[in-house]
Amino acid sequence: MKGSFVGKAKGGKLLRLSVEAAGGVVTAVSVRGDFFAHPEERFDELEAGLVGCPVDELGARFGSGAAALGLTVYGLLPEDLDAAVAAIRASGATP
Amino acid sequence: MMGDFSMRFRFIETGYASAAFNMGLDEGILNAVAEGRSEPTLRFYAWRPRAVSIGYFQGLEDEVDEAACSARGVDVVRRVTGGGAVYHADELTYSVVMPESHPLAAGSILDSYRLLCGGVVEGLKALGIDAEFAPINDVVAGGKKLSGNAQTRKRGCLLQHGTVLLGVDVDEMFALLKVPNEKLKGKLIEDVKARVSSVSDRLGRPFGYAEALSAFKLGFVKALAVNLADGEPSPAELDDARRLAAEKFGDRAWTAKR
Repeated sequence: MKGSFVGKAKGGKLLRLSVEAAGGVVTAVSVRGDFFAHPEERFDELEAGLVGCPVDELGARFGSGAAALGLTVYGLLPEDLDAAVAAIRASGATP
Repeated sequence: MMGDFSMRFRFIETGYASAAFNMGLDEGILNAVAEGRSEPTLRFYAWRPRAVSIGYFQGLEDEVDEAACSARGVDVVRRVTGGGAVYHADELTYSVVMPESHPLAAGSILDSYRLLCGGVVEGLKALGIDAEFAPINDVVAGGKKLSGNAQTRKRGCLLQHGTVLLGVDVDEMFALLKVPNEKLKGKLIEDVKARVSSVSDRLGRPFGYAEALSAFKLGFVKALAVNLADGEPSPAELDDARRLAAEKFGDRAWTAKR
């Protein structure tokens, strides 16, 4: 199961989320867009760390992972990821 | 208003260069400031050939029509900073690098965006254009965007770079950039034309890079209350810039990493 979302995040910037999941667990995810986060390279680790997370907890895992990695994120909120997953579900895909 | 001597910045103007070199020199300056080899620095520059830069978190294929760029001789580069895709043609680009411990780097990220974008705002005001900072990272005049800016913190330093649109060709921009929904492209182009302007548009006459230098130099002096000491990139910074241009910013693996 897979799907993607493109839209304005509540945080203010454009979010492009692509998610693949099996049995409600994320198997692949890509978080792209024109938001800001630093240190930038740590974001790659944050994104990789979302694999294996329950798809319903994507936002929470993103928020706690960012804090643990010392990332400052601007223009994108954890809840934006949950809203994107909900939009993907509503469009018919069921990640 | 002039600052005291402790608020001295080096000012360098490096003219037109390739996208990979331009991004390499910003990082080379950051490395030198981080290692205490260079003073806090304000740099002005421009792009030749014309270029598209994308933000660190953007997907290359999402944002850029690479075939169109190649056909038109337009460079494509990924920045170390976040933010959106920018078409660099008729513009003045600046970068500011200072240690995070510098008084001008104090406060929140938004505070420092506001402070540093003040250089652009004051430069525009010096030209008679009533501009203001528009959070998170834009400068607008008459409700239209004239400048986009992007900041990061690395190696204990703050780097902010940004553009001042001296002229704008929205149709050319959209020939090079992709849009989220191709079916809505026409409407999006009209929206951007309504929301983006340039110094030349505002002044009602062609206004180029050479003419912009003095106005924006004064703008940054006023906004940051710093003394600018005219200087040059050091040989080590230039070596670093060339190395980074070849090994990082000119490397497909970096450009296509997302």
